[in-house]
Amino acid sequence: MYPVRYEDMVLTKILESKHLFIWPAFLTVLIVSLFPLVYALIVSFQSIRLVPPIPPRFVGLDNYAEIVSSARFWGSITTTAIIVCISVFLQYVIGFTLALTLHHNVRGASLYRVVFLLPMFLAPVCVALIAKMLFHPVLGPVNDLFTIFGSPNISFLTVPPLAIAVLVIVETWQWTPFVVLLMLAGLQGLPSDVFEAARVDNISIWRRFRDITFPMLLPLSIAVIFIRMIEGFKIVDTVFILTGGGPGTSTETLTLFAYNEGFKKFNMGMTSALSFMFLIVVIVFGSVYLAAAQRIVRRYK
Amino acid sequence: MRKVFMNHVELKQVSKSFGGIQVIPPLDLSIRSGEFLVLVGPSGCGKTTTLRMVAGLEDASGGEILISGVNVTNNRPGERDCSMVFQNYALYPHMSVRDNISYAMRVHGVEKSEIDLRVGDAIKLLGLEDYIDRKPRSLSGGQRQRVAIGRALVRKPQVFLFDEPLSNLDAKLRVEMRTEIKLLQRKLGTTAIYVTHDQMEAMTMADRVVVMRAGVIEQVDSPITLYEEPINQFVASFIGSPAMNFMEGFINDGTVVLGDQQVTLSPEDAARLCSATPVIFGIRPEHFRRSDHQSELSLTPNVVEPLGAHTLILGSLEGQKITVQVDPRFEVEPDIRCTVPIDMSQAHFFNPTSGIRL
Repeated sequence: MYPVRYEDMVLTKILESKHLFIWPAFLTVLIVSLFPLVYALIVSFQSIRLVPPIPPRFVGLDNYAEIVSSARFWGSITTTAIIVCISVFLQYVIGFTLALTLHHNVRGASLYRVVFLLPMFLAPVCVALIAKMLFHPVLGPVNDLFTIFGSPNISFLTVPPLAIAVLVIVETWQWTPFVVLLMLAGLQGLPSDVFEAARVDNISIWRRFRDITFPMLLPLSIAVIFIRMIEGFKIVDTVFILTGGGPGTSTETLTLFAYNEGFKKFNMGMTSALSFMFLIVVIVFGSVYLAAAQRIVRRYK
Repeated sequence: MRKVFMNHVELKQVSKSFGGIQVIPPLDLSIRSGEFLVLVGPSGCGKTTTLRMVAGLEDASGGEILISGVNVTNNRPGERDCSMVFQNYALYPHMSVRDNISYAMRVHGVEKSEIDLRVGDAIKLLGLEDYIDRKPRSLSGGQRQRVAIGRALVRKPQVFLFDEPLSNLDAKLRVEMRTEIKLLQRKLGTTAIYVTHDQMEAMTMADRVVVMRAGVIEQVDSPITLYEEPINQFVASFIGSPAMNFMEGFINDGTVVLGDQQVTLSPEDAARLCSATPVIFGIRPEHFRRSDHQSELSLTPNVVEPLGAHTLILGSLEGQKITVQVDPRFEVEPDIRCTVPIDMSQAHFFNPTSGIRL
């Protein structure tokens, strides 16, 4: 048998003590995240109503069946998807363009850098309140702008397509800075000599972007769009303030639908089931997106 | 046929300032057609900036740059018909070796058959046949640099610009690659400007070497002239490995007095140098050898480095450090005073204040 070395004993002690460091974090995660999740899953299989209180009753998949068969649910998915797809597309295109402009050191770039980031620091509720005033059908400045050109008063927030357009504009305005921030960081991380080589080789600025910058930033672009998509699906405060989901339920998003079920009807079982449906919808959209992105990336790999 | 210009690339009073600080005072330099010119100097001496001004990646703050007699000072980099090889290879990371080499030609709408021909030639010339479909990240440093060279040469430019292309490679590969680049350039006959901080690279590759210090050109000459007739103490210390030894002393009646030792001058030097002038006496480590104009110096060896072909003695003489290269059979022990022969026909003398060779 080999004699036990002192160093080995110390090492063993360290290896044992690692549990001491892991367990508190693990327990915290268990209590604040895993337990509520499992509890919500159980509730989603029950019929629970807080007002008027009804004792919990196990109903199996009834809640889910009811959701899937309701037109309101599919309507909210469509609304959310439209808002997310259009606004994320605009955020990416505008954000990337701004990042490119800032990267090429326009005069006063440091000032613009700060100004462009400001919308991101505002609470969505504030942004929505400001937007509500801006787009007011009688008093809003946007309406004034249109009336200059002889247009009658436009009720932006009560005509469904216009209301969705306003929501898209607000989302884009608030979250484009996030894209600017990340894409700018990405641009600054690119090796400068590659672009110098292209300049010496007489490659035009557009081809440099199309053939070098864009492919090199593709992995980052995919991540940025993914983050914005997932975040976009969670939109609730903006819609709540601006339209409240109306007119009717024409601008109701998934999360607002769940909120209305939970805090207006106090139908807890249904709300939990909706939350899980939301999770499934996000996973489906996310997977489809990542699969599509993977195909694009493979072209450049 | 491309018109042949005696002075292919010309820099006339070209200067560069960064925010009010002049890093390169106005300099003149002409590069002959087909010449391999190396810019060498310690880091921060402005050699890379000079090259980048020729490439157009930096604007010249003053003066004119001419390529084939055309003033290109205000032209974009792409309009100068140069290709450049960078220190960090600067390959397009998402393109295969073939795509990297052919990219510029594809963008400029060169015919497909012509592209295939040129890429095929370059790949064969550089021995990259087995790697054409690989991405740069799965290539070694030497292979990457070869791809970068291939990308530069397929365009058949007027001028090759090399910015320390070998400094990221290991020592063995560097020696191989410098021969390859030199042979390639001679074969193609394209004018080349090459920047390096390695005097060995400069000496082995160049037709002419430009030694720079603090933005100023100290000397432009063939490698052997630089070695034998350095214009000043800086060039003398920079060229040659191990570096030249310098000792303070003064001339006295046909000898140089170094502390309490004296070495006899060669007849030419004795006739040239006035008595009683203080000088910096310079002698290369390899010139401690027997010759017709021999003298002797005794020194205390501190370290003895047997290298096989010869032995290096790092010692001290009158409190000054000295490196001596001797025959491997030379009997020497550390800390035991010894006497070495010195070839006085190879001695150099510099003005102690200006550093100019006397």
